[in-house]
Amino acid sequence: MLAEGLTALDSVELTLQTSRPFTLLQRPESVVHTRSCRCLLIGALFAASGASAGEVQPPKVLSRVEAQVPVGAETPTQNHVLLEFTINTEGKAVEILVIESAGRAWDEASKNALAEWVFQPALHEGVAIESRTRLTFSMPMPGDAVVDAGSDLAPEPDAGVVMIAEEIDAGHPAHEMSTLVLGRTQPRSRGSSDFHFDLGEQRIIPHPKAADFLKLAPGILLTNEGGEGHPQRIFLRGFDAREGQDIELSIDGTPINDSGNLHGNGFADTNFIISDLVEGFRVVEGPFDPRQGNYAVAGSGEYEMGLAQRGLTAKATFGTFNSQKLDLLWGPRNQSTHTFAGVELSRTDGYGQNRGAQAARVMMQYEGTLSESTTFRVAANGYATQFKTAGVIRQDDLISGRIGFYDTYDSRQGGDTQRFSVSGDLHNHEGNFTNHHQIFAIYRSSRLLENFTGFITDIQQAQQSPHDQRGDLVDRDISAMTLGAKGYGRYRGRVFDRPQELEVGYSGRFDITSGQQQRILAGPDSNTPYHKDVDLDSKLSDLGLYADVNLSLLDWLVVRGGMRADLFTYSVQNNCAVQTVRRPAVNDPPGDASCLSQRDFGIYREPTERVAATGAAFMPRASLLLGPWKSVSFTGSYGQGVRSIDPQFVNENRATPFAAIRAWEGGATFANHFRNGALDVTGRAVVFGTRVDKDLIFSETVGRNVLGGATSRIGGMLQGRVHGGFFDVSAHATYVTSRFDDTGLLVPYVPDLVTRADAAFFGELPFKLARSALNARAGIGATFVGRRALPLGQRSDVIFVTDASTELTWRFVTIGIGATNLFNTQYRESEFNYTADFHTTQPYPTLVPGRLFTAGAPREVFFTVALNVGGSAS
Amino acid sequence: MRPSLVLFLLATSCVQTTGGALVEFSATASGPADAVKGQPYQFTAATGYAVTLTRAQLFVGAVYLNQSNPANYSGETACILPGIYSGEVKGSLLVDALDPAPQPFPIKGVGTDSPTLAAELWLTAGDVNAVDDQTVILSVEGTAKKDGTAYPFSASFTIGENRRTPSSPALPGSNPICKQRIVSPIDAPFTLAQGGTLNVRVSPAGWFDSVDFSQLAPVNGHFEFFDGPSSRQPDIALYNALRAHAGPYSVSWSQP
Repeated sequence: MLAEGLTALDSVELTLQTSRPFTLLQRPESVVHTRSCRCLLIGALFAASGASAGEVQPPKVLSRVEAQVPVGAETPTQNHVLLEFTINTEGKAVEILVIESAGRAWDEASKNALAEWVFQPALHEGVAIESRTRLTFSMPMPGDAVVDAGSDLAPEPDAGVVMIAEEIDAGHPAHEMSTLVLGRTQPRSRGSSDFHFDLGEQRIIPHPKAADFLKLAPGILLTNEGGEGHPQRIFLRGFDAREGQDIELSIDGTPINDSGNLHGNGFADTNFIISDLVEGFRVVEGPFDPRQGNYAVAGSGEYEMGLAQRGLTAKATFGTFNSQKLDLLWGPRNQSTHTFAGVELSRTDGYGQNRGAQAARVMMQYEGTLSESTTFRVAANGYATQFKTAGVIRQDDLISGRIGFYDTYDSRQGGDTQRFSVSGDLHNHEGNFTNHHQIFAIYRSSRLLENFTGFITDIQQAQQSPHDQRGDLVDRDISAMTLGAKGYGRYRGRVFDRPQELEVGYSGRFDITSGQQQRILAGPDSNTPYHKDVDLDSKLSDLGLYADVNLSLLDWLVVRGGMRADLFTYSVQNNCAVQTVRRPAVNDPPGDASCLSQRDFGIYREPTERVAATGAAFMPRASLLLGPWKSVSFTGSYGQGVRSIDPQFVNENRATPFAAIRAWEGGATFANHFRNGALDVTGRAVVFGTRVDKDLIFSETVGRNVLGGATSRIGGMLQGRVHGGFFDVSAHATYVTSRFDDTGLLVPYVPDLVTRADAAFFGELPFKLARSALNARAGIGATFVGRRALPLGQRSDVIFVTDASTELTWRFVTIGIGATNLFNTQYRESEFNYTADFHTTQPYPTLVPGRLFTAGAPREVFFTVALNVGGSAS
Repeated sequence: MRPSLVLFLLATSCVQTTGGALVEFSATASGPADAVKGQPYQFTAATGYAVTLTRAQLFVGAVYLNQSNPANYSGETACILPGIYSGEVKGSLLVDALDPAPQPFPIKGVGTDSPTLAAELWLTAGDVNAVDDQTVILSVEGTAKKDGTAYPFSASFTIGENRRTPSSPALPGSNPICKQRIVSPIDAPFTLAQGGTLNVRVSPAGWFDSVDFSQLAPVNGHFEFFDGPSSRQPDIALYNALRAHAGPYSVSWSQP
């Protein structure tokens, strides 16, 4: 079948003639494809070979137009132009990139011609979908025979459209295929809670940080009580995932979560990502994909990096609070969108007190080919930041006027972070086999100083000299090195005349971490530690294996799933193992030292202690996809996930006490195109439930989440998106209740209602400036969060924040204006109920719980100017 | 998910709270019920002395309520143990212990509806850990009579440097000054509720139950308790009684 297809489908090549119209012709005998083209063709054939339900039909050429090459064009530098482009659901070629150039004039001629082509879009289960593909145009080189237009060798309607079969996801909901990455496999959908976002025009809606993109996924709330450089706290479907402890985050496969981070095992800081380089992302809300590893308790999120705007772009942003940001982005014109480099420098004074920050980010990636069936990517990232943190405010202090809404109690709060990583991967697709292998190395260092409680936790110990409360500023410092690899092999074959897949994958990471936590003496400029809480050196490893099958049983029935197993090992040296002595020696008192070298009666012992532990987790995961019927598909998923334990809680030779999750979901998905494809409409409805045997609950005394009891949650979600020729509108709402299993009481801090709406409008203005088109874009996004449950039966205020921006592009210049918190709502981003005493009501301490909050950002207005040279996005 | 868990979730689905509540309440202090404001207060101490008090004032800096069993922390060195508090009244009050009427603290108390087990009286006008405090905590004046002998007396106690107690070199923090200032645990078996009233009753008779006035040394016919380290029984007995968690003090709760 494959061989037959090769002769039936062939390339379309374009012969260009100077001074006369040029057109297309088919030259079956001259298979002048580039290496990658041959690969693409094979894929297309495979895709076309079986077009039953659950599979995808490739796009076809319906019509083409002739084009003119400008008179006087120079001789082409090579005999072909290779273009990469997207065939949208309207059958138009957009986002055209020149991959292999024959000279500017020839490139432009080819692009102009291609832009006039009309395609029948690729079809998935009868519904038009976007597809990304490549096309080769041949140039007449000196000595070539010129073939006139109108030759009898007219192409077959679908000739020349090439796709990679592995891009085609049988049974994948159509609307999730809006971003296809040429040459790379997209993960198979795991049901209605598997979201794949192409930012597209919604990029115009302000997303100052890469983490902000996650808000496009239903049920996600982001808060930040730690300042500009502090990672955002993620709430997802009733989980308080803190800074990633319960959500597995990665960037093009490279993990972001920190194992062994003292701030939280799984701590994930996405601030190193340049948001303009985010092409899309995938969020799976639940542990339903065997590829998901450690920390995928609430789910997982993976950033996909790319740069559509080619050439060199310089962008300067100026905003309120003396904010400045400079971006330099470079995408070589003749390379794919996954080859790019970017540098970003930013600084701000921040709103209110003690919120200044500065950061530098560098990201670069190269995607190339090793053979006609193998691509590779290498990437390197660097990031450094220093920032200040305002911290929490007591509500009663605010009401009494003792402190302002945007003020701080302790101006020493803040931190710094450095992160550097390199990664590389190989992706091979040959015949029915696909292999993908990736390695990565990450170094990171971070320091966080936070004071959640003021003067509460410094308890007088008998061995210590008498002291007052010396202050609760926690100074947490970690450095870590991660080495890892992951990959998979997938076989795609036909059983019972239906496409079936088997994938076997692995992942492994080894972390060497060193972390210290100290407490700093109170005082305006004090940096003096008075006590060391923790001093750990850890060696952690996580080895995972999985098997995953994709079974197309019937036209309307697909089963996906498998088993994942992870083995965790811990080797932890506690450098501060002895902190108290029950019966001290009179002649050798332990005194005020934190880490002691003695035991009862002053007998010497080393201050260190090593523990080692190992544990394994086995996690079945499965999804059922039914339909579609009248554009509606139904899905159901079940999965188990795991979060490894914090090294602080590991005990010698005891089974590692994982946190285990069981999750299920059922949903319906609607996807259709109306008005001949001019209007894409998608929608989802999902009900879900999860149970975690050891949830993480925020503890103010240590400033992070600590292990709590078992919790369960049940909820529902609605999501919709409408995309037309000039607009892209989406909205979602999630309602969930999270309860402790033993009491039935609500889990504090997690929101039960999260809604979000985004709208982007775009198009060419009806007038020109200096005979050049003006393209305008505008976007607005709004988040509403219901009153969150707080400890002691309290409820927080609601959050309603609107962000908006607009920009205008003329030739190579783009100017824009935007605002976050457009209506300048004064809101409390995080709210708490716990005991804190900041010495504002002296002389008697405040020892009972009260309301505290971190202030949400007021309106911030920013102006942007961007210049692009040497490139074009389309 | 287990079916039983689903049933449990359904059964509890109407519970839309994390449990507990924050409350605000009034706080008062009063003298013994049998006292008459403006008149001397008479009682017979356990030692047989007939005592007539013409002045009895106690400075209460703050009142804290504990939700943990006092037995669990009474041996602790620390005066402040985060997490054990269910209520607090942070306004200081000079209590006239000869006035049976409720004397309101200047500010409202706040707390939670967690069951309270014990109360603490903070006998300080400043930082509980600050050694130097000249505030007069106890001021009493009266006459004690026994076997026909009258002992006109007065006492004016402070708790500061004069009350420091030595510690073992191995455990220098075992006797912080704050332990001298906190009277605890006073039995307080109730649960706070919004709008209720906490009353601290001071029974001055309890201060003199163990005092042997005969061991006081007269100065110009007047017997003065010594405000500081002393080896005399009356000084020790009165100071210990001032800090006794049972006897002179009791707390009660009135629902709104």
